[in-house]
Amino acid sequence: MVQQFARGQKSQLSAITAGTDLYVGIQLNAPGVSWDISCFGLDENDRLSDDRYFIFFNQPKSPEGSVQLLGAQSGDSESFRITLPSIPASIAKLAFCAAIDGAGSASQLTSGYFRLVAGGEEVMRYSFTGADFTAERAIMICDVYRKGVWRLAAVGQGFAGGLAELIRSYGGEVEDEAPPAPPAAAAAAGGGAPGFAPPAFSPPPGGPGPAAPPPLPAQPASAYPPPGPAPSGPPVPPVPAGLAGAGAAGLDGPDLPSAARPVGAGAMVSLQKYREQPTTGRWTKQNSKLVKVTLGPEALALRGAMVAYQGNVEFDYKGQGLRGMLENKLTGQGLKLMTCKGTGEVFLAHDAADLHIVELSGQTLCVNTKNILAFDTTLHTEIRRIESAGIPGGGLFHFEVSGQGTLVVMTKGSPMTLPVAGPTFADMNALVAWTSGMRVSVSTQVRISRQIYGGSSGESLALQFMGLGGHFVVVQPYEV
Amino acid sequence: MRGSLVDHYGQTQIADRMSNHGSKMAKVVMMPGQDLFARTGSMVAYEGLIDFNAQPPQVRRMAQSWATGEGVQLMTATGQGLLYLADYGKEVIILRLANEGLSVNGKNILAFDAHLQWSIERVRGVSMVSGMGMFNVVVRGEGWVALTSKGNPVMLDTREAPTYVDTDALVAYTDGLKVEPRRTARLGGLIGRGSGEAFQLGFSGQGFVVVQPSEDERPHFKMRG
Repeated sequence: MVQQFARGQKSQLSAITAGTDLYVGIQLNAPGVSWDISCFGLDENDRLSDDRYFIFFNQPKSPEGSVQLLGAQSGDSESFRITLPSIPASIAKLAFCAAIDGAGSASQLTSGYFRLVAGGEEVMRYSFTGADFTAERAIMICDVYRKGVWRLAAVGQGFAGGLAELIRSYGGEVEDEAPPAPPAAAAAAGGGAPGFAPPAFSPPPGGPGPAAPPPLPAQPASAYPPPGPAPSGPPVPPVPAGLAGAGAAGLDGPDLPSAARPVGAGAMVSLQKYREQPTTGRWTKQNSKLVKVTLGPEALALRGAMVAYQGNVEFDYKGQGLRGMLENKLTGQGLKLMTCKGTGEVFLAHDAADLHIVELSGQTLCVNTKNILAFDTTLHTEIRRIESAGIPGGGLFHFEVSGQGTLVVMTKGSPMTLPVAGPTFADMNALVAWTSGMRVSVSTQVRISRQIYGGSSGESLALQFMGLGGHFVVVQPYEV
Repeated sequence: MRGSLVDHYGQTQIADRMSNHGSKMAKVVMMPGQDLFARTGSMVAYEGLIDFNAQPPQVRRMAQSWATGEGVQLMTATGQGLLYLADYGKEVIILRLANEGLSVNGKNILAFDAHLQWSIERVRGVSMVSGMGMFNVVVRGEGWVALTSKGNPVMLDTREAPTYVDTDALVAYTDGLKVEPRRTARLGGLIGRGSGEAFQLGFSGQGFVVVQPSEDERPHFKMRG
């Protein structure tokens, strides 16, 4: 069965075909215009970090052969073979693009399609026409990308520059302004391609020849723009990573009314600045108050901190064992945790607190129990106590976190990290975290001032930290 | 006088019917014939001649159909001038609907154009699992909507994968998405020592879900009365 895709439509590849050795055919009909069709193997930041994964007429094969350019055949202007299992983990996206060589614009397209063939049978087709584009010189047709599993997105978006600009926008380098090779070379490479192994399957025999079936009539106008970087208006260079960065900066920066930007039409467009950030590792910061964790290995999080997830995730009560329960009883400092397990992405947040990702590689950090949101199960945690006669209840309980992994600390307001050089004092109620190995004691000065302002301070108790270079204390502008 | 208060926070140019003034305030341009529904008590300032009606007949009719007192308190604003709205320092999201429907959690609606089609609906499935009701305002048409979110929200694309959301963190979603409750805890987990994530709402289809980084604090098993 052939699944017809519309512009902007996305799907899991497994919903289209079970096959992983796929044939990709692209046909572009535009009288008098010649096209360079290429495939960009991008990393998870949408950058062309490895030039060897830019598959085009001068480089028709990736190093291990997982992406191969096969040339024109069976009615397709260009064809590729992609073997998904052998694509290295560093490649997160295969972007199929076409750029005009010479004069012309994308609106001159009379018809075109992108199709997937698995086991000799066409399984998916995305048809488009020049009406989808204007004066662009290049088009981004389809993305095959990895987000947990392999997925496919029909992009169908124009790009103002030519091939060279397209490469630059993906972070690649172009040595000179001229097209990388004369068109003659393209024809030669595209026509013969004898050096490469033929695909293990044959494209559909009765496939669309020159008399290809007419493209779908008008595309069903999607209510949503393609999820590409350009919300609307003139084509914008496809730099999702860069744009996402700008969006994040806009969120984190001071929101001055004088710097307000207009709102575009359409709910999806209006919301573009809040869209999901590309995953950049196990823990990704979505904005100052939201963190995304990509499961595989389990993670521990504060109970109730999940706000949303995609994928197959389970949340389990995390017991602390008998000893832990006893400690909870004694200290009242129990950290109520749950285990997030399964596969997928989980968004964590708590009461709109600011979140900070801390990566530990062998160091030890002491964190106030109230300030822990989530951490890797690889980290070792232990309840500790600072003993002093001055502290109500006989001691200050905190979590000591050590080992290899990531910890998410939450603070009310922007915290301050204060290096300890000489005696440093911190209000016990504003204290968030500190490095272990310092000498901690209750400050006497505050006790004196307490006597002076007798009535005023049932509240404050300062801790004095003494340590050598490299130690620090984190405080938040909010006293619990 | 100088300072950021004067330099940056002054009145800004009027561009659209609704715009952000900072991230936490909405500015609405009021014109005769372009009435507005707004959350009761959300007005922080206005210029010009604007009338507020806290219990408009349209809303009162609607209110009678709500089963509980929790729901949406709306007022109408009419007149000419500039109206500033905010809700206890929550982030304000301005949306421009282009002939589409949006379902907004009653706690997160700030204002919307009165000419939009709207109704108050009970989210299916929520009460079934949790015993509490959840009321959404569904707006549809061509016009402006302002939402609030406690903290910077995130928009998740349900076209990529089914998305499961904590009902307390749900802000809004495209009307027409497939909604189904999902329970992730075993029955034993629901009693006493659950993971805190006993059930979620699952969304799938062509659209999006907006989620806030905070679970609104409220009693989880509210008695009806």
